[in-house]
Amino acid sequence: MYAFALRRLLISVPLLLVSSMIVYALVHFAGDPLRDLEGRNPPVPPAVLEERRRLLGLDKSLPEQYWNWLTGIVTGDFGPSVKGIDIGADLSRRLGVTMRMVILAILLAVILAMVVGVLSAVKQYSGVDYTATLLGFIALSMPVFWLAALLKEFLAIRINQAIGKTVVYTIGESTPGLEGGLLTKLADQAGHLVLPTIALAAVNYAAWSRYQRSSMLDVLNSDFIRLARAKGLSRRRVMVRHALRCALIPLTTVVALDAGAILGGAVITERVFAWHGMGEMLLNAANDQDVNRLLAWLMVSAVIVVLFNLVADLLYAYLDPRIRYA
Amino acid sequence: MTLTDSPGTAGTAAGVKPVLEVRDLSVSFPTDDGLVQAVRGVSYRLMPREVLGIVGESGSGKSVTSLAIMGLLPRTARIAGSACLGDQELIGAPYSTMQHLRGRRISMVFQDPISSLNPVYSIGWQLAEAVRAHHDVSKQAAADRAVDLLQLVGIPNAKERASNYPHEFSGGMRQRVVIAIAIANDPEVLIADEPTTALDVTVQAQILETLDLARRETNAAMVLITHDLGVVAGVADRVLVMYAGKPVETGTVDEIYYSSRMPYTLGLLASLPRLDDRKGGALRPIPGSPPSLLNLAPGCPFSPRCTYRGDVCDEQEPELLEVAPGGHRAACHFSDQLEQRREAPVLETDATLQEELA
Repeated sequence: MYAFALRRLLISVPLLLVSSMIVYALVHFAGDPLRDLEGRNPPVPPAVLEERRRLLGLDKSLPEQYWNWLTGIVTGDFGPSVKGIDIGADLSRRLGVTMRMVILAILLAVILAMVVGVLSAVKQYSGVDYTATLLGFIALSMPVFWLAALLKEFLAIRINQAIGKTVVYTIGESTPGLEGGLLTKLADQAGHLVLPTIALAAVNYAAWSRYQRSSMLDVLNSDFIRLARAKGLSRRRVMVRHALRCALIPLTTVVALDAGAILGGAVITERVFAWHGMGEMLLNAANDQDVNRLLAWLMVSAVIVVLFNLVADLLYAYLDPRIRYA
Repeated sequence: MTLTDSPGTAGTAAGVKPVLEVRDLSVSFPTDDGLVQAVRGVSYRLMPREVLGIVGESGSGKSVTSLAIMGLLPRTARIAGSACLGDQELIGAPYSTMQHLRGRRISMVFQDPISSLNPVYSIGWQLAEAVRAHHDVSKQAAADRAVDLLQLVGIPNAKERASNYPHEFSGGMRQRVVIAIAIANDPEVLIADEPTTALDVTVQAQILETLDLARRETNAAMVLITHDLGVVAGVADRVLVMYAGKPVETGTVDEIYYSSRMPYTLGLLASLPRLDDRKGGALRPIPGSPPSLLNLAPGCPFSPRCTYRGDVCDEQEPELLEVAPGGHRAACHFSDQLEQRREAPVLETDATLQEELA
């Protein structure tokens, strides 16, 4: 098991290296970061342009630029920004904000999908199953920005009105300039988290619950479940220890693969809720033609995707003994 | 079928109560096309330590009968009749009742050992689970018992192998494990549903031996379901031949093999390949195929394939009636006329088929 984990971890290194090359090449060919300056009227003096080019390292050859950028990234230096932003510090703050929402949304979606998927498999073709199916397809087909608007209007505002003060926030990731202890800050962050988490979780919950349902149905109709019953095990034990245990294996793969997509989906969700997270950073960096900020965002996303895949691989090996020796 | 009213069956004469008594069991499945009558009235008695062979081709209702007794059919199945394990009625019993009977008093070995074991748990774990399902023993004691059981069914290095997973075992070895699980709690009745069908011919005999050993070790009575008459001849005391969801002949092995009174049984026997047959002789299949169990036509279900067919066969389904004293029963309008036959070519082999095979 440890050998397997180590092997998987080592594979991540070349994987990230290759993705860094692709990402760098894509951004490099996407456009000249100084085009904005060059097109100005009155024209910017050539000496200024030359100086900027030298500052950003654009005067060197592409492999040299890549190498300098790569060695910088490994040591935590993301390179200069055209806007003069400290990319590293900015990134770590925004990463915390976004991952808070992404992790919570994944957790919420997985738990809901498991419960609902298993219930609709066990009670196949019952009222529960049909209701879950209907709700699932609605959630699956609803655009995030629209769901977000509905949540603000019908959930947050109603709740806040009912209580008489703002508990569920509709905008931002925290209240600016809030005074108080850790508890007050946590409660404030939680209040801001509710809506974006629900909005982000909804679509994945829908897809995953369908997935969990069919994988549970597969397992329930298998011979080893019949044998488990024939052994004289309780219903609960057959369902949890034998059926659910096996039905979780395919779900882990799907969740890990979708994690990257969730990160992408978070960009929209953040925009709708005006969060100052990773999504905003991506949009701003693209607007500013800020190569290094863009690259930083892309690399961090790549690391997160690889990380989720690693976790899925390890979980998979833990859940399915047939994998460990493969 | 009225087996229960008959005196003179071996067990009842001695005043011994049967361990399993099935009476008029019928099972049907509602489908989009109509009601499929998979089992249409099966009755038998299983005496202590007796081995009953149930023979029939695919779709004759052998497995469904057993699954109904075990309470393992899907909820859509409509089950009628009775199956008593001692004094305990099994048909219609709630899950909580069946839970305490299954694996403890009545166990089952399934057809496909490859998919019968849970892939994510070790063999030893799955065996210990079967033990702990019915006995309040420590995990260590259950694990020790699991190793003993693995040894009993002939798994070499049982102690080390117990920590292996099903995918590390061959099909034959997995079936041994399934047998070990079935006898883990010394059941009174062991149902083996085509235990060798999914296995290589070379290991079939070994598995049958293991099954026989397991049965003797636990003193269980056994129902051996198979479509292989050869298997039954070697192991069973009595035989029940099924066709289209009904028993068509029942008796001792000798009665069935040497003085069968039912054309279907005769056809099955005639279709067996024989080593002492004239050389180059083609196999003699029963022409035609079993009837659909959906909207079964009146009359004897075997009549379309039967050379002994008479007018009465298309009108009336024959009842399973005693044809010789001692419990030999057959369901054929012409059973009297079949009395003196033995391994005779009752069925003309389909001419075209013969050519194909030649």
